[in-house]
Amino acid sequence: MAPAQARVAVAPAPPIVAAAEGLTKRYAPDVTALAGVSFAVAPGEFVAVLGPSGAGKTTLFRCLTGLTRPDHGTVRIDGRDIWTGARELRAARQTVALIFQQFNLIRRLTALENVLVGRLAHVSTWRVLLRRFTRADRQRALSCLDTVGLLDKAAVRADQLSGGQQQRVAIARALAQNARVILADEPVASLDPESAATVLASLRFAVGAGVAVVASLHQVHLARGYADRILALRAGRLVQDAPTAQLDVRALEQIYERSAP
Amino acid sequence: MATSRAGEYPEPGPRGWIRGRGRFILVLVLLAIFYSASWHLARVDPAKLLTGLPKMAGWAVKAWPPATDELPVLLLRTAETIAMAAIGTTAAALLALPLCVLAARNVTPSLAIYYPARWFLNALRGVDSFVFALLFVAAVGLGPFAGVLGIALHTWGSTAKLWAEAIENIPPGPLEAAAATGASRLKVVSYALLPDVAPSMVSVGLFWWEFNVRASTVLGVVGAGGIGQELKNSMDLLLFPRLLTIILLILVTVTVIDHASEWLRRKLE
Repeated sequence: MAPAQARVAVAPAPPIVAAAEGLTKRYAPDVTALAGVSFAVAPGEFVAVLGPSGAGKTTLFRCLTGLTRPDHGTVRIDGRDIWTGARELRAARQTVALIFQQFNLIRRLTALENVLVGRLAHVSTWRVLLRRFTRADRQRALSCLDTVGLLDKAAVRADQLSGGQQQRVAIARALAQNARVILADEPVASLDPESAATVLASLRFAVGAGVAVVASLHQVHLARGYADRILALRAGRLVQDAPTAQLDVRALEQIYERSAP
Repeated sequence: MATSRAGEYPEPGPRGWIRGRGRFILVLVLLAIFYSASWHLARVDPAKLLTGLPKMAGWAVKAWPPATDELPVLLLRTAETIAMAAIGTTAAALLALPLCVLAARNVTPSLAIYYPARWFLNALRGVDSFVFALLFVAAVGLGPFAGVLGIALHTWGSTAKLWAEAIENIPPGPLEAAAATGASRLKVVSYALLPDVAPSMVSVGLFWWEFNVRASTVLGVVGAGGIGQELKNSMDLLLFPRLLTIILLILVTVTVIDHASEWLRRKLE
């Protein structure tokens, strides 16, 4: 599909920021979490991953972030295989930001101080020990908070914020990290519908700034409302990879129904 | 669910170790044996207490009114006691800071450091500051400095162990999130971990200061300075009014320190 498009258009092939190639992972001889999953994500693309529990979504995210090493296949970030050495893995970690279902903010620090966590890898150790960030870093963190609509909460402690606000602070932290890829494993699974919408809108905004977002979601309508492209996993296999507009909703619903216990 | 009798659900049986009447009686018998053995080993003798009480009442009568002529010296000794506790506890806290990170399972650089660190802290904790002071009086001579060293060593072990436990109890998520940005371990520990545990660390430190003020009132008994030394002298010379003054001073000091420390800890919550 991709080569045909490239031949038609004169423009060069779209750049790829993150790619999975033939990822396979077995936890036991008979427990296959991933079976030959391949896809590529371009900058400024919002990819939603759908699939019932146990379909391999979490294993896929762990492989993409280098937390789990696949049995076969490669993960490329910026074209480089992340498993070639410790340096490549660390470089990949700085390029890729993670968003967690439980937000994982430092409770007793303010929203601004939590966003500055994204700058830790770029700042000298003594600055971290003394908690003295440069004006440029602080300004940048504030602008990231502005992006997710929480500039007025900069001085509020993380544990005083609502769940949706905390997740948006986590997105601002990812933006401050200068991440080119945001991986979000169930980012809205523990939020009410209204908060979920603001969080997904913030991720959408990051996409507008050129970041690639890969998010696993549970609700098909959220994926259709916010993602450019939808991947569907079932029993470790990629059963759909289609632009949102072309999504076969009925086929997707069948995936969920058939695997329900 | 199947029901055992008509219309009745089977109830889950009692849980835990003490199950059934036989076990319950066994536990009662064991407890009775333990306490009667302890009673004999401790040579508890209420009759002796009854004959001793009038003697103490006699002292109390003789002790009134408390002696005030030596108050300046006794106040100085009280200040010495508080100072011993403050310096000893602070030194212990500074020493405990690096060690608690090594002795916390979730942030230790390696288990090859974790286990020796734990053993070392347990050894320090196992020896009371009173015993340490006894050794230091022999090494550095009589006076409050021996008490400071005794307090510092015992409190080092106790504080670091409690701090390590506080570190182990914090949720791992925020640390994982900070490490996932590619930041080094030192940066993650100092930026993401410290703010989470700092309040409980300060609380533990204040508790030990308070505890050490109480403990150092008796350190003088082994010659390690402070108000305890005067307490022992007065007891040896049967100077009851002076003894009463000292006991009242200790009570006031401990009460004030307890309240100050409690107030500070509540402020930090």
